[in-house]
Amino acid sequence: MTEDFLLGNGAIALGLLEAGCQVVTSYPGTPSSEILPEVVRLKKAEKLNTYVEWSTNEKVALDNAFAAAITGKRTACCMKQVGLNVAADSLMSAAYLGTVGGMVIISCDDPGPHSSQTEQDTRLMARLAKVPVLDPATPQEAREMAGIAFNISETFSVPVILRPAIRVCHARQNMKWAALLDRDTKASFKKDPMRWAATPKFRFRLHQELNQKLKDISQHFDSLQPFNSHNLEPEKHYPLGVISGGVPYAVIQDILSDAGRDDIPLLKLGAPYPLPQKLADEFVTACDKVLVVEETDTLIEYLLRDRSKVLGRLSGDVPLEGELIPERIEQIISQVLSGMRLHPLSIKASREAQDIVAGLDLPIRRPTLCPGCPHRSAFYTIRKTRPKAIFTSDIGCYTLGLNLGGVDTCLDMGAAITMASGLYHAHAQDEVQQPIVATIGDSTFYHSGTAGLLSAVYNDARFVLVVLDNQTTAMTGMQPTPGLGVRADGSQGKTIPLERVIKGCGIEFLEVLDPYDIKGMRATLKRAFDYTKAPDGGIAVIIARHPCIIAYRDLAVANRIKVGISDDCIACNHCIDRFECPALFHDPVREKTAIDQALCIGCGVCLEVCPKSAIIEMDIE
Amino acid sequence: MNMKPINFVIGGLGGQGILFMTKILAKTALQKGFKVMGAETHGMAQRGGSVISHLRLGDVKSSLVKAGDADFLLALEENEAYRNLPFLAKQGVLCSNRSSGNFPLPEVEGYLRKGGITCHSIEAGRLSFELGAPMSTNLALLGYFTTLDKSPFTREEFRKTIEEMSPDVYKEINLKVFDKGASAEEK
Repeated sequence: MTEDFLLGNGAIALGLLEAGCQVVTSYPGTPSSEILPEVVRLKKAEKLNTYVEWSTNEKVALDNAFAAAITGKRTACCMKQVGLNVAADSLMSAAYLGTVGGMVIISCDDPGPHSSQTEQDTRLMARLAKVPVLDPATPQEAREMAGIAFNISETFSVPVILRPAIRVCHARQNMKWAALLDRDTKASFKKDPMRWAATPKFRFRLHQELNQKLKDISQHFDSLQPFNSHNLEPEKHYPLGVISGGVPYAVIQDILSDAGRDDIPLLKLGAPYPLPQKLADEFVTACDKVLVVEETDTLIEYLLRDRSKVLGRLSGDVPLEGELIPERIEQIISQVLSGMRLHPLSIKASREAQDIVAGLDLPIRRPTLCPGCPHRSAFYTIRKTRPKAIFTSDIGCYTLGLNLGGVDTCLDMGAAITMASGLYHAHAQDEVQQPIVATIGDSTFYHSGTAGLLSAVYNDARFVLVVLDNQTTAMTGMQPTPGLGVRADGSQGKTIPLERVIKGCGIEFLEVLDPYDIKGMRATLKRAFDYTKAPDGGIAVIIARHPCIIAYRDLAVANRIKVGISDDCIACNHCIDRFECPALFHDPVREKTAIDQALCIGCGVCLEVCPKSAIIEMDIE
Repeated sequence: MNMKPINFVIGGLGGQGILFMTKILAKTALQKGFKVMGAETHGMAQRGGSVISHLRLGDVKSSLVKAGDADFLLALEENEAYRNLPFLAKQGVLCSNRSSGNFPLPEVEGYLRKGGITCHSIEAGRLSFELGAPMSTNLALLGYFTTLDKSPFTREEFRKTIEEMSPDVYKEINLKVFDKGASAEEK
């Protein structure tokens, strides 16, 4: 037996490998990023033969896992909820085709949102694609569901979505497990073009088959203990029952048990789609009213056929956005109880504490780029060179270029380039020369930069594209990229340098520089802007290459210096506002800028930034 | 075993080592035979934003501590101590790193007194900086926490976990900072 205090994502990895999953693919994204590394860790510890890969994006990950699944193997692909949008094309079609070996699509939701563009609910994507979805309440349940998902997938020949929310992914729980074993299924692809390459005529038939599968699965879900179950007592009738699943279910269990409220029955729907119709009807019939508490959007509530008894988002009892944190759920249940003239819950959370905290006017802690981050000097220089440009950017650490006034737009993965192109044409149509600078990270460029860049070059858009190459996928925890060539298990793959890809997209102006060199970067940016304006010019691409300060701590700042502030500082705050390094702060006593030596990493880039040259290198005592 | 769960909330800023501190607490609790559930902050918020982690010992289903339910609030920064005050239960314990001479603020002190909340603070940041380990404020505070009457864990218990969990190069300094915190006087 092995024992560990596993992250939810580790529990999922464990569940996959316990079920003999042979192929795991992923593209990182919070809160899903740790699943694949945990698979790698377990695979190495248990000497398994599991194939793992960081795919270039989620669609690639899903396609790869699907292909392996139709050879009969058990496979999984892991992504965050907005990643499933990228893979949606593939998901919709895979649902029709069905699978041979079990296939689990893990799409991690982010109610809040804590680290995402949207709060979208993967369960609704499951409904759209018509594939079953499982919604774990705890890491342990996520582990069990990963195994069950393969059984469902193989029994009904359909991909299954496992939707853990962030509070499962990043919860921790103690787990024990026995030795893991490889599953020995060999790849065996049986040709069947009517299915695997189905034309629309056959797609209609596949759709009929899928609908039949959903009916069968709905019945199967009626008795999917303990994931779908209620605690009604026979023949008893209740004024109020609660229906929930996933994380809110666990919270409600704690709330009702703390309050000793066994008068309120609970229907748990850990497998909410396709809806276990019989089980749901049974529960609703036994109650005068049912309150649906589900995260993040409205699925169960829509699926209940008789909604006359139902309270939830549609009745205004549950908020339409935001995470359902415990005190909020407690409030919701208590208010519903009061509204029905039933005994409410006793609420311990104090309004007074909240009021005091609100009155303190605490600083808003916005996330910032790290001290020494190469993105900081890149954004500073870009903005300094063309302050009036429109700055399109993308998804990653560098979205925090917002704080430096270097980010005006952030839509989705790859949109720095496509939005730059769209903005260029919108202005060019009016014969306006609008400078535009797009910034995109290396991993994001590999993920979905090329299609946009090809299109922009082909359609003669003009802008400066700065690829912020820190040689890693920093925001999600330092996953390697094709530019690095290191693979998910640490082995060496093939390296595909950014330069080759960019040139392959038809770019003729390509410069590589170190963004720590502010003067050099300014000069290059100026030439780049000239090129975008020249009649025979085009899109100018600059690769701003400097290793991430966290991933490559020693390499990133080779010569550390001690930074200090001289008496020349006039407290103009240019460095604090425009360079925004966390190590720079205003010292009200000295009435000058000061350096927080605990935070300063000694990169010395800020020496270039001060208009009075008052940031200086000190002697190291 | 159906005892009342023990709830911890740990607050601070990204980069202060909240996750490491939570792991030490959790592993120590596991070694004492507790069932443990925890919830962490990852991703965007880790880049210098407010970071909070929850740790629940006992027979619980959910990993999140409800506002008003925390027995202990450990804070690595004064403002984060204030921000997370609503989590603290009456009769709870606040244990914070302090950098100003004015902690807790008078308006907060009144609230704490009324709720029977005890407040303890040390200059954990200064302590660790002076030992040449500015990133180890978390361990200094953890050391100090063991000196409090209500601490469910002893200095030796934490020490053992830190020794097990620290990478070799940091083992000595980690223990040094922890010990310094454990022998620090409050004011």
